[in-house]
Amino acid sequence: MGKKWFSRLLLLVTAVCILLPAALLLVWSVTGRWPWPRLTPETYTLRTLRELLFGSTSLLRLLGSSVALAGTTAVLSTAVAVLTARATELYRFPGRSLARFCGLLPLLIPGTVFAIGVHLVFLRLGLADTVAGVLLVHLVTALPYAIAILTDVTAAVGANLEEQAAVLGAGPLAAFRWATLPRLVPGILSSLSMAFTLSYSQYFSTLIVGGGRVRTLAMVLVPYIQSGDRPLASAYAAVFTGSALLVFALFEWAIHRLERRGEL
Amino acid sequence: MRKPRTVFFLLLPLAAVTLLVLAACACVLAQSLGWVPAFGLEEITFSYYLDILRDEDFLRSLAVSLGVAAGSALLAAVLGTAVCAALTVRGRSGGAITYVLRLPILVPHAVVALFTILIFSQTGLLARLACALGLISDFTQFPQLLYTPGYEGAVAAYLWKEVPFVAYFTLALMSGVSGTLGEAAEDLGASPLRSFFSVTLPLSLPAVCRATLIIFIFAFGGYELPMLLGATLPKALPVEAYLAYMSPELRDRPYAMAMYGVILVLSVAMAGLYALLTRRLLRRMGGNHG
Repeated sequence: MGKKWFSRLLLLVTAVCILLPAALLLVWSVTGRWPWPRLTPETYTLRTLRELLFGSTSLLRLLGSSVALAGTTAVLSTAVAVLTARATELYRFPGRSLARFCGLLPLLIPGTVFAIGVHLVFLRLGLADTVAGVLLVHLVTALPYAIAILTDVTAAVGANLEEQAAVLGAGPLAAFRWATLPRLVPGILSSLSMAFTLSYSQYFSTLIVGGGRVRTLAMVLVPYIQSGDRPLASAYAAVFTGSALLVFALFEWAIHRLERRGEL
Repeated sequence: MRKPRTVFFLLLPLAAVTLLVLAACACVLAQSLGWVPAFGLEEITFSYYLDILRDEDFLRSLAVSLGVAAGSALLAAVLGTAVCAALTVRGRSGGAITYVLRLPILVPHAVVALFTILIFSQTGLLARLACALGLISDFTQFPQLLYTPGYEGAVAAYLWKEVPFVAYFTLALMSGVSGTLGEAAEDLGASPLRSFFSVTLPLSLPAVCRATLIIFIFAFGGYELPMLLGATLPKALPVEAYLAYMSPELRDRPYAMAMYGVILVLSVAMAGLYALLTRRLLRRMGGNHG
């Protein structure tokens, strides 16, 4: 089985390519001195940790505001996506393919162009340099992904159970709540997790629409990378990525638990 | 239960979002055509576009951005498909490797830029390895890969994020096709390789192409990676456009917007071309079947 051998090697190389930089980041984040041409650091330090916790930028507050912003984006975009997917998958109406197209439209508009344009719109609406404005932009960015996930799930669940519930006398809201919603939950959780990650990693849109007033981890990290202080930039990046992973892992864990309970 | 009125309410939020997206694009295009009443510019003209299209710096930026986007997207498509095929051959779904593959999708671009610096810079991990192996004796002998006009660093960074994206994006379709039609081809006597290249791969192409289009548009309009890893000259188009946008000379504004207009128009044209090509391709494949 030569092919199996080759594909295993390819996957191994891929995994190493993905994990090696992450490991390197962790090492750099506690590095004191790492002179050329050593392969390992000469000294290790907790300077970065001190700087993170007690430095000029309060890490905990940054983490809090980033998580709150991304969490709100996730909930809102998932809610919009549930409604949109329901309309395009369970109803037949003229303009259905147009609605599907609109759901994916933000993917076709480069994020930088959208951020600049929406900033001009927000200047008129008084939403420029506000958290609400940044939230809206992140929402638009995350929406096509949320819609793509929930469209598949909604189509798979279908309307049969809900119609049965309606026949048995349930109102439309109750039918949705008890017949459909529970089976959408895995899709909703993946959508939340995806939207959270997307919002969490936004840089340019936050910079433009937030006007420097809305501070997230991404906003603080970029100047550290530019400054060339590798240990400190690495420490920030590690916290940034680690917290995103933690949230992702929580969602994955919840999805698995639900799936296992569904099987029992 | 299926009332048209319900559809209307269900689609209201999407309509609002679409309106916002269109309004944002319209604002960019209006200013690029010289309509900036706030700055006292009210004459509609194509001259800003014509001016930047004659400007060599702009053309070089455009070439850089197209090159980075096309290069990284095509490479990612090939490598991502290969990784996806390897996952499909392995046969069972899930497992640790799929989590590893999803990791780059979660990591923000700025962090990927830092990865690239830590690995590819002249004092990075690769240079140290080359020194340890005796290939070079001084870090200046290690080739410059970052901040170069070739944008190798930015392409490498995009690849790190995009190869797993393509693989993950294509996985569901490819493993479905491979498990049904691909196996049928093998049962009928096709070798595994033949079955992959004439059945599984062509039928998985729609997902590969869609993923490639998405990452092309993203990389073409992307700001962070070329800003953090790119050369001072030529700058990538989104970086050049942002500098012009931030210019204290307010009358430069339409030039900045014309650059964003070019990014927008080319991206949408690319998507249109894609839609046209896939429709024709699907029709031809349908014709072959019938």
